[in-house]
Amino acid sequence: MAFEIGVMTFGEITEDPLGGATPSPRRRVRETIEQAKAADEVGLDVFGVGEHHRSDFVGSAPSILLAAAAEHTERIRLTSSVTVLSSEDPVRVWEQFATIDLLSGGRAEIIAGRGSYTESFPLFGYDLRDYGDLFREKLDLLLRIRERNPVTWQGRFRAPLIDADVAPRPNGGTLPIWVGVGGSPASAISTGRLGLPMALALLLGPLTSHEQTVELYRQSAAAAGHDVGALPISINTHGYVGRTSQEARDVMYPYFAKGMAENNHQRGKGLLLPRAAFNAQSSPRSGLLVGSSQEIIDKLLAYHELYGLNRAIIQMGFGGMPQKEHLEAIERLGTEVAPVVRREVTALEGRAA
Amino acid sequence: MTSVPSALRVVVVNGSPSQPSKTMGLVDVVLDTLKEMLPIETSRIDVYRLGPGFTGAIERDGVPPEVEAALRLAEQADLLIPAVPVFRGSYPGMFKHFFDLIDQYALANKPVLLAATGGGDHHALVLEHALRPLFGFFQALTVPVAVFASAGDFDGSVLLNPRVYGRIETGLTDVADLLRARATGAPAPAAPAA
Repeated sequence: MAFEIGVMTFGEITEDPLGGATPSPRRRVRETIEQAKAADEVGLDVFGVGEHHRSDFVGSAPSILLAAAAEHTERIRLTSSVTVLSSEDPVRVWEQFATIDLLSGGRAEIIAGRGSYTESFPLFGYDLRDYGDLFREKLDLLLRIRERNPVTWQGRFRAPLIDADVAPRPNGGTLPIWVGVGGSPASAISTGRLGLPMALALLLGPLTSHEQTVELYRQSAAAAGHDVGALPISINTHGYVGRTSQEARDVMYPYFAKGMAENNHQRGKGLLLPRAAFNAQSSPRSGLLVGSSQEIIDKLLAYHELYGLNRAIIQMGFGGMPQKEHLEAIERLGTEVAPVVRREVTALEGRAA
Repeated sequence: MTSVPSALRVVVVNGSPSQPSKTMGLVDVVLDTLKEMLPIETSRIDVYRLGPGFTGAIERDGVPPEVEAALRLAEQADLLIPAVPVFRGSYPGMFKHFFDLIDQYALANKPVLLAATGGGDHHALVLEHALRPLFGFFQALTVPVAVFASAGDFDGSVLLNPRVYGRIETGLTDVADLLRARATGAPAPAAPAA
């Protein structure tokens, strides 16, 4: 399986911890499309937009941003990272992504997730008590729609569909559907049982954090009769590719610390990530993808070796990374990191075969 | 003619206010595993649904008849399964209130299987540091292996993690012979002739 490398964004609207300015939503949406265009031009494989329903992110409607990105790109795959499927209507999700697929000539895909933020549940009238059941049922419907049209389906949370025509069909007749997994054993197991590709999220922690997750995923996929070797696994994690090791860390730290403080509360308040803790997270045995091009190459190959990973999607804009630095990092990732990783993985797999 | 084995009267004391609940999802797996080993009859007491006659009770005397019946059911079980979610670092107060009304010696030498769920693995020792001492006070016969599952082990209230299944199997296998000897319920219906 070819190794794919991409970038993702939440469309962060965060006050710049250094300059003090906060980008307007208008500016951030334009910058988001510019990032997609840059990623496409430097030959990256995937561009993702995450879904958050809050004023500090502009990505509440990823399908619309991805549709705009489709018009400005040629080859890059366009994915949600993730679609909070539990509070969505799977019929609508299918319609939107099938349309993006037609616009982009077959480049659309969906990463379906439960959502690590819960704002969308009250917004769309769902009860958080149904968290697990909602995702299971909605994923079931989405997969059924992919499988056949017209579709007949029945569930608990919406009216049944009887011989319903769900249109359009995508460019190539089908859409890749991944499942976003935060690392809980149960979601790895249920994803494996369904034989769906797994997009792992890793926020902080050791490189090996997901060993059990991946093991449970493969075991349950094999037990359900799926071809484990054909199932792709992706890691979605934070990072930044700098000119040098030191520059990468110096540029990323203030923004990442700001993003963590605003999104990861302890005792109801943001916790400042100390620089020493950040440096520890960027060491070779930790998961954060920050460093020089060579460091990122080494870490991606370590990820590949550890998990049999086929894809990495890096979020470089967390905490409001300024556009100039963000675009520079996208360029390094596409021109310096990706070609080497793809070549090395192909060589490794050739040797293993 | 061989004698028909008696059923083990299992009583679950459910300390979770939620419906559906992960705690009961964990207990369902315990009961399903136990059912494979010996005949059982199960009943369940939901402490959060015993009503104001229970929550307002200060002592055992004078509790309403339905609360008295629930307390007796627990006291007369062959196997008691107290099962709780971790609230504020321990078992819920409502759960403790139920056991505050239980007769001091009613659980002596009674097999008790401890079960708990929590938001993360760091709550697992609630079994050893909170639940086991409570049943130590009652001089109950706690099963050596207690069972714990984290929120991430469940899809909704369905337990998925095979490691937890394995622990349940181990814990019950340890005491299967003892439980068979303690069974006092109505004999299980004879297996249909092959």
